[in-house]
Amino acid sequence: MEEWYKAIEEASSVESLESIRVSVFGKKGILAAEFAKMKTAANEEKAKIAKDLNIHKGKMTSLLAERKMTLQTLELRARMEAEKIDVSLFSSRSEKGAVHPVMDTMDKIVDYFASMNFSVQTGPMIEDDFHNFEALNLPKYHPARDMQDTFYFKDEMLLRTHTSPVQIRTMLHTKPPIRMIAPGSVFRRDYDITHTPMFHQVEGLLVDKEGEVSFANLKYILEDFLKYMFGDIEVRFRPSFFPFTEPSAEVDISCVFCKGEGCRVCSKTGWLEVLGCGIVDPNVFKAVGYKDVSGYAFGLGVERFAMLIHQIGDLRSLFEGDVRLLEQFR
Amino acid sequence: MIVTKNWLNEWIDLSDVNIADLEKTFNAIGLEVDRSVTYTIPKKIIVGEVLECEKHPDADKLNVCKVDIGSSIRQIVCGAANVRAGIKVAVAVLGAKMPSGMDIKPVKLRGVDSEGMICSSSEIGLPDLEKGIMVLDESIGTLKLGRELSEYPSLNDSLIELELTANRGDCLSIRGVARDLSASYNRPIRDCKESEEEDRNMGIGRVLQLKSDESLDLSLRYRAIDFKSVELPLVVRLRLAMIEEKKSSELEDLLFYATYNTGVVLHAYNGSTFNVNADEKAVATIKTDEKNFPSVFGAKKASVVGVKQMKESKAEEEGLLFLEASYIAPDIISKKNHENRTEVGDIFYRTSRGSEPDLNLGLRYFLHLLESHSISKIYGGSLELHSPVDETIISISLSEINAMIGMDIEKKVVTQILKGLGFDLRQSQSDNFNISVPQYRHDISHKQDIVEEVVRLVGIDNIKSKAFVFSEKNRKSDDYSEYLRRKAFRHASADNGFYESVHFVFNERITLEKHGFTCIDQDKELLNPITNTFDTLRPTLLMGLLEAASRNVKFGRKQVKLFELGSVFSTQRDESLKLGFIQSGDLDSDTLLNAGKPASIGFEQFSQRISNVIGDFKLVAYESTHKLAHPYQCAQVIINGAVVGEMFKLHPDVANAFDLRDTMMCEIDFSALKSDLKVAKEYSKYQASFRDLSLVIHQDLKYSEIEKIIEAAKTQELIRFYPVDRYQDEAMGENVSLTLRFVLQSHSKTLEEEDITNAMDSILGACETELGLSLR
Ligand SMILES: [Zn+2]
Repeated sequence: MEEWYKAIEEASSVESLESIRVSVFGKKGILAAEFAKMKTAANEEKAKIAKDLNIHKGKMTSLLAERKMTLQTLELRARMEAEKIDVSLFSSRSEKGAVHPVMDTMDKIVDYFASMNFSVQTGPMIEDDFHNFEALNLPKYHPARDMQDTFYFKDEMLLRTHTSPVQIRTMLHTKPPIRMIAPGSVFRRDYDITHTPMFHQVEGLLVDKEGEVSFANLKYILEDFLKYMFGDIEVRFRPSFFPFTEPSAEVDISCVFCKGEGCRVCSKTGWLEVLGCGIVDPNVFKAVGYKDVSGYAFGLGVERFAMLIHQIGDLRSLFEGDVRLLEQFR
Repeated sequence: MIVTKNWLNEWIDLSDVNIADLEKTFNAIGLEVDRSVTYTIPKKIIVGEVLECEKHPDADKLNVCKVDIGSSIRQIVCGAANVRAGIKVAVAVLGAKMPSGMDIKPVKLRGVDSEGMICSSSEIGLPDLEKGIMVLDESIGTLKLGRELSEYPSLNDSLIELELTANRGDCLSIRGVARDLSASYNRPIRDCKESEEEDRNMGIGRVLQLKSDESLDLSLRYRAIDFKSVELPLVVRLRLAMIEEKKSSELEDLLFYATYNTGVVLHAYNGSTFNVNADEKAVATIKTDEKNFPSVFGAKKASVVGVKQMKESKAEEEGLLFLEASYIAPDIISKKNHENRTEVGDIFYRTSRGSEPDLNLGLRYFLHLLESHSISKIYGGSLELHSPVDETIISISLSEINAMIGMDIEKKVVTQILKGLGFDLRQSQSDNFNISVPQYRHDISHKQDIVEEVVRLVGIDNIKSKAFVFSEKNRKSDDYSEYLRRKAFRHASADNGFYESVHFVFNERITLEKHGFTCIDQDKELLNPITNTFDTLRPTLLMGLLEAASRNVKFGRKQVKLFELGSVFSTQRDESLKLGFIQSGDLDSDTLLNAGKPASIGFEQFSQRISNVIGDFKLVAYESTHKLAHPYQCAQVIINGAVVGEMFKLHPDVANAFDLRDTMMCEIDFSALKSDLKVAKEYSKYQASFRDLSLVIHQDLKYSEIEKIIEAAKTQELIRFYPVDRYQDEAMGENVSLTLRFVLQSHSKTLEEEDITNAMDSILGACETELGLSLR
């Protein structure tokens, strides 16, 4: 009997354990043989033999179960160990592409104004003189037209130089009040380190009853917007001049590179110009037939925002489809 | 516009204002500071006087000078051609450290001792003046021998370059800028120094007569001068050098300087210009010229007012000259030039933005300068032509001003600002202002202009921000929905491995035409393209994507996947939106998965990726209208039965030309892509069965044909089917084996084997009868 206890304890696999179990508990196993011997034993001894055998049976059963559990655990462990891999080989890089930083910046700008209940309006890139200039208080002889070198077509149409014509179109077919932005591509005949013949703008317009819209309102939304875009920055307004607004201002933010200390990007001034804005000139309202209204307008260049937010140095690289730049925005 | 602090100080007291404060003020009042430079002359550079000057015994070009530097007399060797006895000069004495880094020590020059250096302007850090050393004069202050040059404000000046907006012609002069500052600092403008009118020998009437029959909107004023040469004082030469202006003569320099100071347009005509008839008095006739510009005529045209002076009429030599100050309103001159373009001179920039209308100011300033630095004689009196000007009066109430600004500003503050700017306040009672606008502020014509002036001088940063209160309104627009749809497809493209690329809408016409694209009709083409390579608007996104892919490959990329969502233009120049894709080179990145040897992109994988972005579509073989496509791997993309674009492999020749390997491209009409609301269909709750069918077909038979036949059979239990294998070997000749997988399912029960067999028989039957196909 004892050697079987030992055999169970030393069984090295679930299979060998099973064969031991058969040898012990099987129909021809040793327990059956021992019980068979009982028949020939003296009657008074039978009870004792039966009792002993039953004790052995019980012990062996639990010993077998215990050993089986141990062996199964060991075997699972061994199998898993055999399945070991070098996970560090499979550090992975996403195969995703990316949206363009300028378009993504435009989306963020549009998101802000949409959440502030501005409507989004778009218009054609090919415009006429009236919508692009005349209605915006830029008559043909106006010196400010020098500021915008325009692409013309042979039939006197032109490529819009700003998205302001969309505001004119919107005002011509809707009644006030108006709260809108116009995102889109615009074109100027200028191509060097800091200019591309095509770039993107978002312009905004708010029109309500006369005396309702003030410069203070314009300051409020632009300060909030710039903090949403650039985080913790200072905002400064400087009086300026645009033909379609009056009073007009240019808006600077404290330099995002040097935190206002002065660096190459901000030409040592500590400030970066990011926006133009103002109170809508009455001549613009006159051109679209609006009476007794007041309003504010603003406009910004999306490339400039994208370059400042992502610290991109070269404007022209934005239009080259260069994956070395684009893959950084995944 | 460049100003310097010391120069401004001539017109307004800025002695207590530091440069940082001055810059801040400029920015705050809307005169943007572009650049600022401060000149600082180092210590130990002092005033000296050359007592003696002799040639160096051993060097022709050197002079040995005895220089009095106040405390002592030093021997200094100097190489400048203009050094001579009697002049006062800048001397760097022993121990001085020059801006170049050089230390002044005792030296021997060709055997002669030299203790110091006589300096040129650039050697002490000032702008370059004429050749040689800088000769000092008292225009910079009293010249005391030995005094440090760092003590002279006009030599240690701060230059500020202002970026003026187009409406601010009134600030195109030193005095104009000072006038703006005077309102901001609330201190007066200094008067111009008066020339002494008394001892004139003769009146101008004796030598010149003005003639004009037309009524012209302009002002002209003439003075006559018996001109003798003029020597420009150091401070004038230095300032002209700071603003980088040098004219052809000293007289021209002086005229320019006076205009730059006062804003008044000044010209000098030589005496013979107006000699129409010999021996008679000179006559200047003012009339419109052939292009309808008011002009001044002598024997010939002498000048076009506000536009240019004819070269021949310019005064250059000594003798009689006529000095003219002129003013013409900027909107008049701009309009005329727009209607009837003419060649314009430098002065047009000033006149078209607004020059100073106070002509006497400019004349007085010039004559005073001339008298101080020349022995020229000035004739008494002046001749003038002056058309009356309508006064601009603007009425506005304090509450209107405050509503527009959004803040309560006190009446006395507004009054002070407007008066400071030179505005005349008439009968301003209670809340109302009646404002008379000075002529030099032609940009002020309505209420908002007045508000702008108040805003500017109050300072926008001092206006408290206030949220606009508005009534709720649904402002969702179709354009916004469209914007969101674009955004969704752009993000889907990026999520599927493509990088968004943005290109100019400009392309090169000959390149497009070479590749078989049709461009904008000639009569609608761009008139003034910026370069030859951007001479038309693109009819396709494909060329831009192709060029970008090519660039990336040149940078060493093995796999390029780009997309663009952008506008293209038809022959009639109608704008439409397209979504374009390109994938070139490797199918995937090189990784363990492909043992570092990824396959090249093929039609099947590309189509799959595009489908992940734009949804389900069918492809039908077709012949492209352009020459970019591989003739046997080119398809129309069809969604819901409509052609929405094309997908093709790049033609090997084109791929070669662009240095690209296998390349796939696709261009889709964006308007055809819908992102409609999805409607859930009823779906079967019973198990689906799959059956494969291998057909032997001729290699040229298109799958789309088989598809059509099977669809036409309308087998009820057939949910969908798709190709899963295509096989060909030599034994099959021109045939191929195509395996299709069929998904069968019923809405009412689990299909029995018999149902499935029946369904498959009907499919096979259709293929046999319609196409003569057989099972493999
Ligand atoms: Zn900076």
